[in-house]
Order: sequence, then C-alpha cells, then structure tokens
Amino acid sequence: MHELSLALDVIDLVTEEAGKNSLKDVYEIHIEVGEISGVDADVFQRAMEIVLKNSSLGKAKVKIRKTPGIGRCTACDKDFSVSDFLACCPGCNGYPSEIIGGKELRVTSIIGE
Amino acid sequence: MCETCGCGQPDEFTIRVPGQNENNEHFHPDKQGGHYHTHSHDHEHEHDHYYEHDHQGDRVIEINKEILAENNLVAERNRGFFEGRGVLCLNLVSSPGSGKTTILEKTIRERNEGYPVSVIEGDQQSMNDAERINKTGVPVIQVNTGTGCHLDSKMVSKALKQLEVGNHGVLFIENVGNLVCPALFDLGETKRVVVMSVTEGDDKPEKYPYMFISCQLCLINKSDLLPYVDFDVDKFISVVKKINPTLEFILISAKTGEGFEKWFDWLDKNRKCHVT
Ligand SMILES: Nc1nc2c(ncn2[C@@H]2O[C@H](COP(=O)(O)OP(=O)(O)OP(=O)(O)O)[C@@H](O)[C@H]2O)c(=O)[nH]1
Ligand SMILES: [Mg+2]
Ligand SMILES: [Zn+2]
Repeated sequence: MHELSLALDVIDLVTEEAGKNSLKDVYEIHIEVGEISGVDADVFQRAMEIVLKNSSLGKAKVKIRKTPGIGRCTACDKDFSVSDFLACCPGCNGYPSEIIGGKELRVTSIIGE
Repeated sequence: MCETCGCGQPDEFTIRVPGQNENNEHFHPDKQGGHYHTHSHDHEHEHDHYYEHDHQGDRVIEINKEILAENNLVAERNRGFFEGRGVLCLNLVSSPGSGKTTILEKTIRERNEGYPVSVIEGDQQSMNDAERINKTGVPVIQVNTGTGCHLDSKMVSKALKQLEVGNHGVLFIENVGNLVCPALFDLGETKRVVVMSVTEGDDKPEKYPYMFISCQLCLINKSDLLPYVDFDVDKFISVVKKINPTLEFILISAKTGEGFEKWFDWLDKNRKCHVT
C-alpha cells in the first residue's frame, strides 16, 4: 500500500517540476526503483497508472527502470549482486561492507512540452 | 470515500484527543481529487492516446529527485523539534498485536524517574489504543490513517501541534501494525524500535528485512509464552544479526515484567545521551 502514497508524492513532485519548467503537458515520467529499495516496481507501476489517470498529468506514461542491488566487499575489493539482505561476498563469504546500488527511489527525468 | 468500494483516500487522516471528540479534525490533502486505489481495474482500454501529439516541441527535463524527499524534509523538521527540546522520540513498529500498547502502558506506569512522557497512537481506525494510554494519565493523541498503512512525517508534525511534549522527556510513537510500509517512512524519530512477539514465526526477519534493517532496538515480547511456542530466541537473534549486525535486543514480557529493568536502563541511557 505504501506504493500508492509514494505515487501521490510523484504526482506532486512532477507537477511542481513541470510548472517550474513551463511544461504544458508531461508525456513521460522516468523513475528509478532499486531492487532493494523496499518498493515493488510492478505494484508501483500500477499505482502510478491509477493515480495518473485521475490527475492533471493524465497524458503521462510512467517508465520505471529497475536497478540491481549491488553490494561491495571492501576487504576483497569485490562487487556482487544482492537481491536480499542475506547475500554474501563470493570472495570471503562475508556480508557486504556497503550497498552501492539498488536503493534508488527517484524521479530521474520527465519529457513534455 | 471511494464510490466503488467505500475505502478512504490513502492520505486522508484524522487526529483526535481522547475526551474531545467534538473537535475532530480531518485532513484531506486531496491532491487531484478523484479515486485512486489499488483494486484491480481494467487497464486494457487506456493510454492509447499517448502518441497523438507530434513530439516536435518535446523537452527532456532532468530531475533526479528522491520520491521520499518531501517526507524526509518534514522528518528532519520533526527531528529538529525533538533535538531542540532534548526529547527522545521512539518509533515503535511491529506486526499487529505484538504488544506495543501493553508495553507502553507498563512502561509509563513503572518508569524509573518521573520524566515526561507523551504518546502518538497510529491506527487505521478506532481510538482504543489512545484511550488505553489516556488512562495512564500522560498526554496522548490518536492519528487514524484510514486506509493508509503507515504514519508519515506530516501526520506526526500535525499531531505535534496539539500534543504536549515535555522537555527532556520521551515521546513514543506507536506506528500502525505492519512490518512493511512503515519501514520506508522516516518520522524524524531518534530511534526506531521493532517489537517482535515470540508467538510470531522466527523467520520474520527474512520475510521483512527492510524493517529489521531500519531499527536500532528489537524488543522480543511475550517471553512468558516461550515454554508454549516454537520460538528459538538464539536462532532469531543470529538471523537478524546477519541482516543488521548493530541491532540491540531485549527479551521482555509486558505481562510478567521480565526484562523491563533492562528496557528502562536502555531508555535512561538513550534519554541522557540524547540530552547532552
Ligand atoms: N502473554 C502475554 N501477552 C501479552 C504480552 N504483551 C501483550 N500481550 C497481549 O497481546 C495482545 C495484544 O497486545 P497489544 O498491546 O494490544 O498489542 P499491539 O501491538 O498494541 O496491537 P495493535 O496496536 O493492534 O497492533 C493483548 O491481548 C495483550 O494482553 C506479554 O508479554 N505476554
Ligand atoms: Mg496497539
Ligand atoms: Zn569479501
């Protein structure tokens, strides 16, 4: 359900940015959703469609790009895929010292005129 | 209300003080109005019109803004409010029925020193929890989120305008019982506390890692029921530590009071280090 309230936040954010840039119509909203951001990209896509239909941005299409979860082990200097928080370093079998990708949850760009 | 199914809008919420029911306040941020929720509607027919325009004047605007930016901004303002008053604010999250309200009742009645305590109760509906806290005599306010499944920083900010929060005290926020959604929403709390009861499966952390990763303390409640359930405390702790190595644990029972000294010490320690 939090996908729905996030979708409403996107409408606000895009409406404001469209205004600032004097866009009359917005045709595309590009969003990045990380694999380990806590947001389900497919649910979010549907939530965005529902919310957009009832907004002043009804012409806009949502394009979600999923970004992979990537952990880094600083000891082994290795990057590896983490699709959950239990993934381990292929070098030392330790937990990632940092997460360098996959937590994104942002509007990257909009297209309009 | 939604005409199709009777649900509320996700960001429609109510703030109520026990005993003052006439002054109910409703907030309808009401973005573009209308009807938005996640029932399965038919989508086949829609969106054929996207490319009707000729794209000649199209411009690409780079935005790169966090979707949670607005929530995070208000959360930082709340945090400033707490820091300015030396208030330790704890956001209590859990599955429904883990014992949050019972823990709060006992904590308020038996706490070590007479420091001020206030409570924000988040529930989808009903004033029950606020009324239970009201009987302990501390200031309390109920936020009903309607169909919303979590508190957000704006709701807390609104609630703070009507709630008496004593300097150098503790503000407890009991979030909506839900291990998924509240994880994403910073309320401006000093620390986040997850309450886990031993009647739940000890595989919860693997199922809901976001919640366990975002907390600083885990209260394992209902320890009095350990003899009757299949909950392996050591295994639970070792699994959670893989997800969040710095999480602290206290095993308690809100029924028998087991572990409450440790919990009170934790509160005192965190209150004091927060004040300086
Ligand atoms: N045996 C036992 N029961 C407990 C304990 N703590 C709470 N309970 C019981 O668990 C039930 C739920 O407790 P609440 O305090 O209402 O739980 P909650 O987390 O506030 O519930 P929601 O607000 O609905 O999510 C009640 O029947 C309590 O009496 C405990 O330590 N031991
Ligand atoms: Mg409760
Ligand atoms: Zn390694």
